[in-house]
Amino acid sequence: MTDPLAPFLSAIAAHDKAALAALYRQLERPLYRFILSRLNDPHEAADILHDVFMEVWRSAGRFEGKSKVQTWVFGIAWRKVIDLRRKTGRMDMPGETPEIVDDSADTEAALLAGQEAAHLRHCLDELGDEHRMAITLAFYEDMPYGQIAEVARVPEGTIKTRIFHAKKLLLRCLSGRVTREVAG
Amino acid sequence: MTDREEIEALLPFYANGSLSAPERAAVEAALAEDPSLELELAALRAMRDTLQAEAPRSPGEFGLARLMRDVEREAQPAPARSHFWQIAAAVALAAFLGQSLFLLGQRDAGYELAGEARDTISVAFAPAASESELRSLLQSLGFEIVGGPSALGLYEIAAPGRAVSDEDVEALRASHLVEAADLAE
Repeated sequence: MTDPLAPFLSAIAAHDKAALAALYRQLERPLYRFILSRLNDPHEAADILHDVFMEVWRSAGRFEGKSKVQTWVFGIAWRKVIDLRRKTGRMDMPGETPEIVDDSADTEAALLAGQEAAHLRHCLDELGDEHRMAITLAFYEDMPYGQIAEVARVPEGTIKTRIFHAKKLLLRCLSGRVTREVAG
Repeated sequence: MTDREEIEALLPFYANGSLSAPERAAVEAALAEDPSLELELAALRAMRDTLQAEAPRSPGEFGLARLMRDVEREAQPAPARSHFWQIAAAVALAAFLGQSLFLLGQRDAGYELAGEARDTISVAFAPAASESELRSLLQSLGFEIVGGPSALGLYEIAAPGRAVSDEDVEALRASHLVEAADLAE
């Protein structure tokens, strides 16, 4: 299947500004949401978004077409987010989620009863960078695990493992919060 | 991963509809046998729906205007003025540092340079450094800008509540965002 964004990138490589604007309009919202989900600072997220498209402008000629354009651009964003978090000492390791767990709770039922965006946002914020990245791309962008692996530049099995653990941590975190809310 | 864990790892991708046909069939077979997986799938779908309903306000057309402005700037040849100021700043900084070393040489023999504490550090940042990069650097080191930029682009940096030292200067020099740094006279 042909990549609908590929022609934009070819044109950008030839310094076509209209093609850059078109690609921006296609990817700006999902990219910004992805970046913001990790930085939680709208100004920083806007700066990173800008830097990503500047890099697309400068590097489009080096795109080899081995992945989808969306994957390539998200990969640039992911590496910029990680660089910024390392520079500012905010890099999390996977699995650092605090154990705010009530193991007696029925996790799924609690989530279904609650379904509250605020709880989900809090629990996502508690995930480590790599766990959270995998979950946000799977659920925000509906990416397959193979594509997430390309964005993160890791094997597919690594993404499956991250998703497996991230999902467990999320469900346990949500269970703990919803249970406490009901009890309170 | 066990077979069960493999199925659990695939569940989010079953929920987002991105699995291949054989993987989808494997998950559906497991779902038919295990009601707890059905509950988990329902929770994951609720999670996905909640996240997709979020719509943060993105930079939109303002961000595009900024992008086009910077792309235009990059396409232009660098103005001679910026080279002039870079050279002027480098010469001035070299003179400033030379004067500092000369003055230090005039001091008493017992004067200790190491560990010397001052109020501020004079810093020249790399021309390509962005505001957010500088903000991150200064915040991570606990500094703030208290003066500048001077006509030559030098900033005065201080650490609130304490004097600055050679160690602080070294920390700034270690960053690629800093072209030159020295304790201010």
